[in-house]
Amino acid sequence: MSADVSDLSLVRRVQRGDKGAFDALVLKYQHKVVKLVMRYVRNPAEAEDIAQDAFIKAYRALPQFRGDSAFYTWLYRIAINTAKNAVVSRDRSPIDFDLDLQNTDESYEMQGRLKDSETPEALALTEEIRTTVNSAIDALPEDLRTAIVLRELEGLSYEEIADAMACPVGTVRSRIFRAREAIDRRLREVFEGGLGRAEELG
Amino acid sequence: MKEELDSQLSAMFDDQLPEAECQLLARRLSRDDELKARWRRYAVMGAAVRAERGVRLDTNLAVRVSAALSSEPVISGAAAAEGVTRGKSTFRWWQPIPGGAIAAGVAALSVMWIRGQAPVGGEALVAQSSAPVAVAEQAPTDRAVPESYVVPPTVEGRTTIMPTAELANYVVAHSEFSTPVTRRSLLSALVASESGTPGAANESENANVVEGPSENVDEAK
Repeated sequence: MSADVSDLSLVRRVQRGDKGAFDALVLKYQHKVVKLVMRYVRNPAEAEDIAQDAFIKAYRALPQFRGDSAFYTWLYRIAINTAKNAVVSRDRSPIDFDLDLQNTDESYEMQGRLKDSETPEALALTEEIRTTVNSAIDALPEDLRTAIVLRELEGLSYEEIADAMACPVGTVRSRIFRAREAIDRRLREVFEGGLGRAEELG
Repeated sequence: MKEELDSQLSAMFDDQLPEAECQLLARRLSRDDELKARWRRYAVMGAAVRAERGVRLDTNLAVRVSAALSSEPVISGAAAAEGVTRGKSTFRWWQPIPGGAIAAGVAALSVMWIRGQAPVGGEALVAQSSAPVAVAEQAPTDRAVPESYVVPPTVEGRTTIMPTAELANYVVAHSEFSTPVTRRSLLSALVASESGTPGAANESENANVVEGPSENVDEAK
């Protein structure tokens, strides 16, 4: 089974005009892209803005994506270039970045986001989600916990996990799914109204 | 049934689902909000486990990106196909320009060089005065022959400064890059320099000889 096949399925759908498939790609990679951008900027809100720009650029460039490289490699390249350009333009006009916005509504919105990202509530929400997930993982049976940690933390493929755990690949798939189900149940119990800003879409 | 679907979604998230199943599920995922929410929580779980510093787990860029792209035209299949082939076969109007410029430059340099080498003394003119006549006599037979852009080779025994026939062929072959007036004057100059007789009468005869092919070029166009 070739890697990136699921991304490619979604990419092909976007290329055929299915915008909903692009949502799935954004949902899957948003945290990784923000984390990548955080290497260039320290402000989380600015990193999110840059990540958003990167996704928009990726969408516009998708007709040219031929699948020669993995989608995430291609996306990361766009994100890195977007981040570098943002840093350069910000360094050239540090005052403009804060004040020179023609649209005052946009200005207020951006200021709101900057403040929002720094509020203790926002930080607490992230911390609460993290704690919930980790406590749910701790509560898992050993085989499920090992499988999900090897997958999410170590990034091993199912075949590699199967080797490590001396079990069939199908069993690994089942264990990872059951682990996710258990964590998901816990998340839905704790965050009944959804994960903060998260449940507006997806 | 639902559990199987969720199991497939989990495997798809990890890029561990067979391609055929991926395609079917991708279609459903793009339309099913509940599946999309689950998909997103899978991503949140991974980010939480990795404890990615500075990354907000409640982030939902998909909403912002979707809003920003709402005014964008949907990518069409044709546009995607065009994008994939772009850069390979797309015609660009400026591509012929360098070729044309080079051809014109070479032709101009050739004419200048020929003129610089042309004999100016009266003896030389007299010695070569028979050559144009021979060419002029051949003209009618040349015209009877099926049209060709190739100028007949020079008459043997004639004093040639350089292979003028090749130059004339070159000019005719690249005549698409020059105006008819320029082309005619170039060819006239070439023939005149070959014959070495700058007399008005001979010039007009020579011009008749080579005008045939150049006119044919125009017709061919």
